[in-house]
Amino acid sequence: MKIAGSAKLPFAAERAYAVMQDPLVLAKAIPGCDALEKTGEDEYRLKMKMVLASLSGSFEGKVRLTDSNPPRSFRMLVEGSGKIGFMKGDGLIQIASAPDGGVDISYEGDAQIGGTMAAVGNRMIDMTARMLIKRFFEKLAAEPA
Amino acid sequence: MIANPFEYSTPATLAEALGLIADGAKPLSGGMSLIPMMKLRLASPEHLVDIARLPELNYIREENGELHIGAAVTHYDVESAPLLCGKCPLLAETAGHIGDIQVRNRGTLGGSVAHADPAADYPAALQALEAKIVLRSAAGERVVTAAEFFIDTFTTALEPGEIVTEVVVPVEPGLTGTSYQKCLQPASGFAIVGVAARVRRDGANFGAVQVGITGLTGTSYRATAVEQALVGKPATDETIRAAAAHAADGVEANSDLHASADYRTSLAVSYTTRALHSALSRSA
Amino acid sequence: MSTTFAPSTTKLEKLVGKRLRRREDPRLITGTATYVEDVKLPDMHHAVIVRSPHGAADIRSIDISKAKALPGVVAVFTGADIVGVGTVPCGASLPGLRRPDHHILAQDRVYLVGHPVAVVVATDRYIAADGADLVEVEYDIKQAVTDPEKALAPGAPAVHSQWPDNVAFTFHQNGGDIDAAFAEAEVVVKQRITSQRLVPNAMETRGVVADWKTNDRSLTLYTSTQIPHLARTLLAGMLGIEENRFRLIAPEVGGGFGSKLNVYSEEALTAWVSMKIGKPVKWIESRRENFMVTIHGRGHVDYFEIAAKRDGTILGLKLKLIQDLGAFHQLLTPVIPTLSVLMMPGLYNFRNIQAEVVGTFTNCVPTDAYRGAGRPEATHGIERMVDILAAELGMDPAEIRFKNFVRPDQFPFPTATGLNYDSGDYANTFQKALDTIDYHGLRKQQAEARAAGRLMGIGISTYGEICAMGPSVATPAGGWESATVKFEPSGKVTVLTGTSPHGQGQETSFAQLTADELGVPIDDIVVLHGDTSIVQYGIGTFGSRNTAVGGAALFYALQEIKEKLKKFGAAMLKAEEVELGDGVCLNPKTGESVTVQEIAGAAYRGVVIPPGMDPGMVVTKFWEPANFTYPFGAHIIVSEVDAETGDIEIKRYVAVDDIGNQLNPLLVDGQLHGGAAQGLGQALWEQGVYDDNGQLVTGEFMDYTMPRARMMPWIESSHTCTPSPVNPLGAKGVGEAGTIGSTPAMVNSVVDALSPLGVRHIDMPLTPEKIWKLTNGRNA
Repeated sequence: MKIAGSAKLPFAAERAYAVMQDPLVLAKAIPGCDALEKTGEDEYRLKMKMVLASLSGSFEGKVRLTDSNPPRSFRMLVEGSGKIGFMKGDGLIQIASAPDGGVDISYEGDAQIGGTMAAVGNRMIDMTARMLIKRFFEKLAAEPA
Repeated sequence: MIANPFEYSTPATLAEALGLIADGAKPLSGGMSLIPMMKLRLASPEHLVDIARLPELNYIREENGELHIGAAVTHYDVESAPLLCGKCPLLAETAGHIGDIQVRNRGTLGGSVAHADPAADYPAALQALEAKIVLRSAAGERVVTAAEFFIDTFTTALEPGEIVTEVVVPVEPGLTGTSYQKCLQPASGFAIVGVAARVRRDGANFGAVQVGITGLTGTSYRATAVEQALVGKPATDETIRAAAAHAADGVEANSDLHASADYRTSLAVSYTTRALHSALSRSA
Repeated sequence: MSTTFAPSTTKLEKLVGKRLRRREDPRLITGTATYVEDVKLPDMHHAVIVRSPHGAADIRSIDISKAKALPGVVAVFTGADIVGVGTVPCGASLPGLRRPDHHILAQDRVYLVGHPVAVVVATDRYIAADGADLVEVEYDIKQAVTDPEKALAPGAPAVHSQWPDNVAFTFHQNGGDIDAAFAEAEVVVKQRITSQRLVPNAMETRGVVADWKTNDRSLTLYTSTQIPHLARTLLAGMLGIEENRFRLIAPEVGGGFGSKLNVYSEEALTAWVSMKIGKPVKWIESRRENFMVTIHGRGHVDYFEIAAKRDGTILGLKLKLIQDLGAFHQLLTPVIPTLSVLMMPGLYNFRNIQAEVVGTFTNCVPTDAYRGAGRPEATHGIERMVDILAAELGMDPAEIRFKNFVRPDQFPFPTATGLNYDSGDYANTFQKALDTIDYHGLRKQQAEARAAGRLMGIGISTYGEICAMGPSVATPAGGWESATVKFEPSGKVTVLTGTSPHGQGQETSFAQLTADELGVPIDDIVVLHGDTSIVQYGIGTFGSRNTAVGGAALFYALQEIKEKLKKFGAAMLKAEEVELGDGVCLNPKTGESVTVQEIAGAAYRGVVIPPGMDPGMVVTKFWEPANFTYPFGAHIIVSEVDAETGDIEIKRYVAVDDIGNQLNPLLVDGQLHGGAAQGLGQALWEQGVYDDNGQLVTGEFMDYTMPRARMMPWIESSHTCTPSPVNPLGAKGVGEAGTIGSTPAMVNSVVDALSPLGVRHIDMPLTPEKIWKLTNGRNA
């Protein structure tokens, strides 16, 4: 599944780039994130609990940041698996200064869903992914500038 | 297709149920969404509290120009209760579109509303009716509007420990025409797009109009751009067509196997047109 | 003994041809039938299977310790444990066929989502499910490939590493002189036509109960199958057990549609687990598993080319057929596309064909026989191509069909694919359909509708099919069928059929036939099937063969038992010549008679045994057909398309089917209606969709659109009858006709509706969105 979209952050480009690389911030912003431990250069072990309507499931996986080009762009890879299925997202995040002093973020990538979630949740996946991304950027935006 | 082990309680009173829910139990109100999720092990609540059996939540009554519907009223009862058919036909008509007869016999108004499935039928009608949703927890009660209640995909104003206990809809003023038009996803029976319209005439013009849309995006919404394009304008096909074109204004449409975002958007316009036509024809 | 019996005075009504209600229905609709899930044995254990969530992955490790530690879990087995168990059998014998080892539990790699990796056995099904959740499997995920054309492209991931081209076989069938036909052609039209994966979805999922008795070396296996005897033979081979100590019972089977014409890993696995733990074991397939791991149907990408003269005469047909086989071969997986090739010519009189089948591995569940099995794909292809040719030539689609039909005087008609069509009058049947629907009036209405901007379509399908599988030479395990007729000493009659009806209604129709032949009240007749310890060996139920092959075997058994009744009757009446009819054996000279029941009783008591005869009154007959049968018909669908939303409305559906003689027209209607529902399902709604990673995204009824009763049109059904000369009943078979005839009629109708927009072809299913994209929301 292709995922693409945009968001706004009320930060300067450098700050926007920095918050998205900050594991403490990411841990707060990734929806359902329980823990984010550094395991290597730009690589983190992720534990998250997804709760959405009656669905709930724990995932373990990793977050990797690559292709860093501060403060313009980087790639983010998130993958996790749990009893209810697995997911993998890989996207390019680009940051452009906006006239209002903030930045326009655009993201573009692929997401894969597997397991029971993929087999029975087709109609939910697109909107759920969008909602989770929206929540992610809302949390980021709440960070101090 | 076998759920994880769970505890199941059938409290006799709402107070008792709210106590269990405050302690972390999950309310079960018909189970038309929750039970399949549990059988697939996508949901594994440890404790279910069956609130659909509470007599305190099973009523339909008229008070002060409003209709109060308990959360445990089944879709079938919403669809067929004479009080609703006569005084709030939009809600009754909408309930008749839900799932199939087995689902309507078991599923409840409160359960569906609290679940907030983005493709559920009720939210369109509740938005158009400017319904009030009564929320209750062990700590007390509060009332929110439908517009405040439905926040995002499966996301509502419900706080932990809180349940929907009642839905309040207006007694439809005479002369109002209402209609719910749905493009059905043929496998699941959910709405690809569902549009609820309420129309009053003001002479040859549109008077007040409310339009609620479900299925198009992550949550239901009031199509205010459509409403504004109608109010005070001549009640004609041209006005409707021009107004309905705004059905998806500012909305990012969903995409799935059954309908891409573009197609859904087009359907939203078509079904808004149909709902407005139908509602207008039913208004006096 | 006395011979002064009073002759029967109440003559029994003849039942063949009557619309008798099914005798099996009361138990089915009151919930008192016994399906596999209803079988409960003392100390029965339960198995739940751990399955791969990945389309392709290497198994790094499997940790069963937590599962084994769960109280109530008795055993956990993985691929390492199943040493000595045979692989899942495939009955195909195509030259050069590549056969991947299809183990009942994955060894070191998984090849599809749902691939069984481990089995957890517990005292209770719930505990087994909890245990399955505790099995931890580490996978090294590999790139899957799920689209057969992508699988054939250079550089595609190899499903099986030993065959990097993903080709399981190529099969060629040529007839006549295709080059000459195309050289002579004045017009050639080409079209890529797909036939999407379908999920059979029988109402009852699969299920197995295995009961191994160690001391007796005996196995009783209850399984939801269409082929009890063949399954026993094949499973005995896989498990290394003796066939005479292996009783296989197909209890009530809640639908199959071909999906239970198979031998599955779970049947062998459940039996093997029972042998390992020495207890009865039950495994019941969940609906999720049914979607994932029970065979799918169809799965074609076809490239057609048709050569014709300007006057519409078809000269020849070329086909390249890419069959999505899935990851493994189930029982008949590679055979199914070859059936498509056989029926490529349809009802048309041309003799030049060239077909190439490329069987392609994908990381998907295997395809195999699903109602129609190869013929719906062929019929859809040829019926679409004829319409496309008609459009190219500006001819009426009815006219072009009349021009090319095989004529009645050409039967038996040898086809370009080596078949021999038995009988028919295609033009007559088609004309009846056209008259019923007022074809010419409809075309006028259509012109008016088009002038008014409405999109109305008329779709024709004149289909032919190959049924009554079949002569043994053409059927991997034998194509005959068996029947036993026995009188009990009390005069009641038991029929044992080697077919395995599971919804087709032979408990009724075979009793009708028996009642008429023997003159016995139908209530005195019981038809048994599906238990290898009760019924003589049989082939089973598939390929529209129950009546035309199994019924014929029964007919011959009945003739033989009638002869025996006459001999015994003559001895009892001390007559040289007797007449047998209406349940009575009569000495025409004296008027003395005995009833068949009395004869049967005497034959068991051995009171009078005619010279050269044996006592008892039992006859078993195995019967081999000399040919297939070839039912045919014409289906016409009138539709209207809503350009704004893409919705399709079926306005009328007329079906005229020629299935030869009918034992019970009510059952025939049921078969045709159900078949049409499945055919319309393919045309309009159903699709098994895998994503690129091997996930089946239509994995439940939430997204897989099964036709509902409310979605069905009224079907105006009637018949013509050209009896089949192949069997004494003159029956051709009807199990698959509706599925085969309906699909192209529906698609042709919608394409016809959209033809003013320049549309020549639409691939199935015709979802509203596809239509909307073509109409571009014209009225919006």
